[in-house]
Parts: sequence; structure tokens; C-alpha cells
Amino acid sequence: MNNILKLKKITSAWILAILLLFVLAISFGITMRFNQANDIKLSPVTFYSLMTTHGVTMVGIWVVAGMMAVNYLLSRYVKVSNGLNLFAMALTVIGVVMLWLTTFVGHYHTGWTFLYPLPFYTAWEKWATPVFLLSLGVLGIGWFVWSVGMLWQILKRYSLPQAFAWQHFKKGHTVETPPFILITTVTLVGVIACLLTAVLLLILYFAEYFSKGTFTNDALLMKNLTYFFGHTIINEALYLGVATLYELLPEVSGRPKFKMTWYVAVAWNCTLLFVLTAFFHHLYMDFAQPQSFQIIGQVASYFASLPSASVTAFSVIVLIYKNPVKWSLTNLLFVVGVAGWLIGGIGAVIDATISNNFVLHNTLWVPAHFHTYNAMGNVLFSLAFFNWAAKDFQGIASPLRYDKTKIFWLMVGGFGFVLMFYIGGAYSIPRRYAEYPNEFTNAKLLASAGAWFAIIYLWAIIVILFNIVMKCIKMFSVSE
Amino acid sequence: MICLFSKAQVKKYNYSEESRVYQQVADITISTNSDGIKKLSDLYSESPLIIAFVYTRCIGICNPFLAELSQNISLSGTDAKQHYKVLVLSFDTSDRVEDMNKLAARFNFENNKHWIFATTQQADILNKSVGFNPIWDGSRMQFDHEALLVGINQYGYVVKKLTGLRNPDDISLLLRELNGVFVASYQLPGNNSLLSCFTYNPATGERKISLGLLLLIAPFVFSLVIVFIMAIIMNRRLKNTAVPHHYAGT
Repeated sequence: MNNILKLKKITSAWILAILLLFVLAISFGITMRFNQANDIKLSPVTFYSLMTTHGVTMVGIWVVAGMMAVNYLLSRYVKVSNGLNLFAMALTVIGVVMLWLTTFVGHYHTGWTFLYPLPFYTAWEKWATPVFLLSLGVLGIGWFVWSVGMLWQILKRYSLPQAFAWQHFKKGHTVETPPFILITTVTLVGVIACLLTAVLLLILYFAEYFSKGTFTNDALLMKNLTYFFGHTIINEALYLGVATLYELLPEVSGRPKFKMTWYVAVAWNCTLLFVLTAFFHHLYMDFAQPQSFQIIGQVASYFASLPSASVTAFSVIVLIYKNPVKWSLTNLLFVVGVAGWLIGGIGAVIDATISNNFVLHNTLWVPAHFHTYNAMGNVLFSLAFFNWAAKDFQGIASPLRYDKTKIFWLMVGGFGFVLMFYIGGAYSIPRRYAEYPNEFTNAKLLASAGAWFAIIYLWAIIVILFNIVMKCIKMFSVSE
Repeated sequence: MICLFSKAQVKKYNYSEESRVYQQVADITISTNSDGIKKLSDLYSESPLIIAFVYTRCIGICNPFLAELSQNISLSGTDAKQHYKVLVLSFDTSDRVEDMNKLAARFNFENNKHWIFATTQQADILNKSVGFNPIWDGSRMQFDHEALLVGINQYGYVVKKLTGLRNPDDISLLLRELNGVFVASYQLPGNNSLLSCFTYNPATGERKISLGLLLLIAPFVFSLVIVFIMAIIMNRRLKNTAVPHHYAGT
């Protein structure tokens, strides 16, 4: 079997696995919202086990979705390793199985943040804490090795300054760096940094776990490390999706490819630096953190999101405004995804402003903004790639007839779902409550409405996925 | 390695105020000066409770402790909205209710509805549940003990502990926390707490950046090192190959 065919088959397997987990994880989310609405009755342990599974699974699948997509598209420029791809897939499967065992069999329920010292307050099976931490370790090792492998291949063809597009800072350069290569390089460096942080975090957890009380961690350090890892990796996952947008949107729209410019280069180099310090905005309520770090958190939150988002939005508008565009499901998903990213990004920047955070901290505003730029941003970027890849596997385009209808219902469901979160946040309804007391008068109604909108979103997703899934399944019967 | 590296910043603290916090207090039986025999839950279910541990034969800290507590509560700016009761409880099982009545009279608390004086035969159980460890000194016929205040909320959980003679601000924070007002608090480094982000000098209030904070920078530095090493290795190969002027999409 040739390498390209092998890559297509592995990518098909990734897509099928991700989509299966995605549908299940959405179902968990809908179940939680119905429980908050008091429409169904779950025990608190079941609710928080579902919350933990939902959070970690969603973060995980969209990180690997982005990595798998850039790995596939990287094969246009450099040789990619199918061995590493398979290695990462094997460890991901093992990690997810371990994770789900801890939550569904071991009833582990700290939430995806597993904030110190919660994992040690075992209100679940004793084995679940080390197995949960190990599952993160297994996932992290697979993704770390894969990231380093991809970066290695990029640096085989592009020198380090070229990979970062530094030659575009001045005039008269002879070498052009494709935007896809720049964004992928910047993002992979960030992914490697936050996976190293995860390794450090797990070492500290296990050091305390096995020390039998002779070693205690510092709560502030652990919280900093947790959000360095968690906040950064979900942002990097989004940027991997943006990389696929830069590569595919012009192509599927029948427009010339994006050219590298000095401002695109500056924006994405800034993103590398600022995204790594934006996580400080998660610690505004930790008064033991020095004030200077809090200010860095606010400033970095602005600079991490604004340059990359504005440059991308500008590029997309220039691409489609008053230009003949061949519309398809792929570019519709990309364009709606950019809108979702921007809306969610604005919500994030509002919350990352210290004076606002006093009001919005740990309210439903938080899930509102991150669901917007994930469910209506990054997920759509990945779905766009899946749709394009499924066509690329077999060279058969799907008819456009119902695509606009699918997108319409996806937007109704998705934006309706996040709107219920935003309204809840504006009413200062707290997040992470299994049940809302009667004092929060609107909370149950909003949760119920949110769940029904999520069902519309899920239905639209399943309709969109049908063709993709069928093509991916057929891919396994293709031989040379 | 981590332990050795950070051993230098470990200091010997003994913050017994941290033990048993957020744990359920034992629901013991007490004999009060005002309402006879009661369960502890009868008191804390009515309003948050501050337990002051004393005994009447005490020739050490007990009397100054009560005097200071009385004065500090009045200075703490408590308003009518803050509900509380102070249970002055003898942990000496040889004390009788009459002894406690005399103690109440000495401080003019006989008719104060906020102050209850009581004895118990289940002192050991209560002491264990709140982390109070008096030691009997047979030669002096006295208990060796700390001056301890324990704040119990309306659900019977230990919310806060204060050791020693404390100022009105500390008492005010205790009362506010017992009444459900948010009071900022943070875990203090213990004997085994390594790799702190900051070292804190309680005497001066000075805070210095410490070794733990370096760990935040380490992942980024290591990732750059990995990238630079790969770039150096690859740079040698690139010198001998054609530089791409444009990319060739498939």
C-alpha cells in the first residue's frame, strides 16, 4: 500500500473515531443541561462524572482533529510519518478508554480541570485518581511525539526563520512561507510547550500521590500549571483548525491561495508568545497571585486573540466579498466557523477584562464563550476539513442542494444553545451546578431551552456527518 | 530530585489552624448554664457557633483569652445581621456547671444571650473532631493547651480555627465567614509543602518569587530548546538542498 493511500485510511479512521466520540460527548452535554433544568434526575456523582467525561473528551478530540487535519495537509509540503500517526492514534484510543473507565466505572468526577487538591479527595474508587492521571499521560505522550515529528518534518524543508516567516518582516525576500506552514509551526511549538507543562503537572501529582504525605504541592503553582496546560491546548487546537482554513478555504472557493504578508507573519508570531501567558486570566480570583501577573493575563488575552482573529477575518472577507465564490458545505462551514470564533473570542475578551471578571467569573458566561468558539468555531473548521477530506478520498463532490439548509439548522441550534449560556451569564447564574436552587429563577428554563437547541445542533451535525461517515467507511475497502 | 532541589525553601511551620477545617464536628452532649442538657447540634442549628476551649482551674491563658475574646467581639464591628453564639466549653471533665456559672459571672455574661457556658463528659470526642490536643501535666495539675477558637457553621462543619490571642480584625473575619460572607483565604505552606510560587515572611508581610515559579517558565524554555536543537540539526541538511521558492500544492 502506498503512503498516500495509507494516510487516507488512517485519516478516515481518525475521522470516524472523532465523530463517534463527538456525538456521544454532545449527548452527555445535553443530558447535563436537562438535569440542570430538572427535566430529568441524575445523581450528583453521575452529573459530575458526565461533566468530566464531556470536558476531557471534547478537548481531546478537537486537539487530535486539528492535529490529524494539519498532518494530512502537511503531506502537500513535506513527507509525513504514517507510523507516528498510527502511534498517536493507538495511544489516543488507550487514553480515552482509560479515561472513560475512570469516570463511568470508577465514578471519578473532578471536572476536566482536576484542580489540585481535588483528585486526592477521593469520593470515587481509589484506583480512579491514578488511572485518570495516567490516561492524561498516555494521551499527552502520543500527541507530544506526534507534534515533535511534524515539526521535525517542517524543519527538514524550511529553516527556523522561514518556518516562522521572519523573512516577511522585510522587503526583498525571495522565499515565501505558506501561511499554513507558519500557523502550523507556531501552533505546534505551543502544543509542545503545553504538553510539557502537562508532564510536569502529572509528575507533581504522582510525587504527592506516592509520597504518603511527605511531599505536598503548592496549590497556586498547581493551578497555574493546570491552566497553562488546559487553556493553552484548547486555544492551540483552535489555531490548528485555522491553519486548515488558510489552506483549504481559497482552494474550495475557487479563489487564489492566501499569500503570506508581513502583517499575517507578525500576527501569528505574536500569537505564539501571547497565547502562552493568556492563561493568567483564570487566576484573577486568586489574590495570592501577584497583581503584575493579573495585568499580564489581561493584556496577553487581548494580544493573543485580536491580531490572529482580525487578520483571519480580514483575509476571509477580502476572499469572498464581491468575488465569485464556489459555495459548498466546506466553505460554508469555514465562514460560519470564523463568525463563531469571533463571537466567542469577543465573549472571551470581555470575561478576560479584570473589571468584568468580578461579575462574570464562574458564571454561565464562561461556558458560553468557550462553547461559541469551539462548537461554532473550531468544530466547524474540523467538520469542513472532514467534508473536504471525504471528497478528496474519493473525488466525489456532494450536491449543494441541502447544504444551506443544514447550515441554517446548525446555526439555529448552535447559536441558540450558546445564547442560553450567555443570558445565564448575564443573570450571574453560576456554572458547574448539578441542580439549580429556586433562587436562580431563570436557570432551569434557560437550561431546558439550551438542551433543546443542542438537540437541533446535534441533529444538524448528524445530517452533515452522514455523507462524511459513508465516504470514510468506503475508504477502507479501497485498494491500490 | 524535585524534593532535593526545593528542600532549601522549606520552613518549619506548625499551622494547626488548618487541621479538621471543613470536617463535621462531633455532636456531643453538653450541660449548659442556661438551658440544661443539650446536644451541640441544638446550638449550631440555631445560629453559627464559636467554641472557646477553657477550664476553670486554669491559671494560664484561659482568663486572658476570654477577656480578650469578649473585648474583641465588641470591637469587631459585628452588626445585628451577624448571628452567632459563643460557647465557652470546659474540656476538663472534672468541671461542673456551677464552676462555669461562676466563670460566666466573673465576665458578666450570665444574662447575655450570645454567650453560653457549658461542660461535657465527651470532651475527648469533641477535641478529636476539631483537632484540639490538650495534654495533662500531672506535676503542675494543669493542662498544656493552646487558646483555641473554633467556628462551626449551621450545618455542623468546622469553618475556621483561630489559635492564640487574636485581634478584632481576625474575630471579625471569623464572624463574617460563619455568617456566609465571602472571606478570602489561601492554603499556607506546611512542613511538606515544596516548590511554592512565593515565600512569605509572616513578620514583614514580604513576598518573594520562589523556585516553584520557575517551573512555569520551564515548559516554554524546554520547548524552544527542542525546536532549536531540531533546527540546528536540519540546518546542515538545508544548506545542501534547494530552498523552496513557493510551495507546490498537490
